[in-house]
Amino acid sequence: MLGPENGRLTVHTRKGGAAAKAGHDLLIEVTSWRGTLHVGDETTITLNADARSMRVREGSGGMTSLGDDDKSNIEQTIDDEVLKGTPIEFRSTACEFSPEGDRMHVSGELELAGRRAPITFELSLSGEQLSGSATVKQTDFGMKPYSALFGTLKVLDEVQVAVDARLEGVQ
Amino acid sequence: MVELDHAFQTGKPIGENWEAILDLERLVPCVEGGSVIEKVDPEQVKAEIKVKMGAMSLKFKGTVAVVEQDSEAHRAVMRVKSKEAGGQGHANADVTFSLSDGGGTIHTAAQITGKAASMGEGVVTSVLDALIKDFTEKLANI
Repeated sequence: MLGPENGRLTVHTRKGGAAAKAGHDLLIEVTSWRGTLHVGDETTITLNADARSMRVREGSGGMTSLGDDDKSNIEQTIDDEVLKGTPIEFRSTACEFSPEGDRMHVSGELELAGRRAPITFELSLSGEQLSGSATVKQTDFGMKPYSALFGTLKVLDEVQVAVDARLEGVQ
Repeated sequence: MVELDHAFQTGKPIGENWEAILDLERLVPCVEGGSVIEKVDPEQVKAEIKVKMGAMSLKFKGTVAVVEQDSEAHRAVMRVKSKEAGGQGHANADVTFSLSDGGGTIHTAAQITGKAASMGEGVVTSVLDALIKDFTEKLANI
């Protein structure tokens, strides 16, 4: 079982639009999640994350640096207007190891914002370390990327979700 | 100085549009984030505008006044003078309305200083253009 105690699950968003200078690229950590990796005849991966556990860790760019109040406002916006506390769930449908056994190509289905869509990504296995990232396109899930300033400042459709976990001692 | 031109349509007779735009208590809230704090006299109000920029927001406080009005030509100039709350910036503008039956045009000459202006004139122009477009859509229902 993987989770915040032995790994880090993060979301990286980038800003866009004519007024992108006014906004920030965000590094958001998911602080409540559970992942499983079962290696066997059929390797499977699952992940469940709490949409209300997103915490803004860093904001880069922007006219001024993000304060704690700004970070709370973003978290509130995610809860109220973006993910609205909906379940986040991933189930793999196929996991293929590379011949060297250090990489895995994962295909599966992700439920996000109330809709399911297929997704594929690569994971790296180095010793006991598991890492990788997936590109999630918000519109694939029927989401309208968040925008402000009359649409001149927006979060880009594609966000990067990264995982970095230590498998040592994991049951 | 940023100058912009826009058109708007209300589908209403010119007399009705004329009355509506001169009523600052109806006009100011048509600007997204704008609100009247106090009516000073029929031709001047104290107002504020809160511009949400994602997590952060900028607030400007000041006055909106009808400084010119020609009821024959249905042309009016509104002067906006405002200062950034808790900051050094200013947002001032002369907004000229020229009405015709069913709608009209708006010419905006704005001067923005401070934090908002530090984004650069291109950005300020894009944001102002989007703000006024949104305003013209709301004017349809004034």
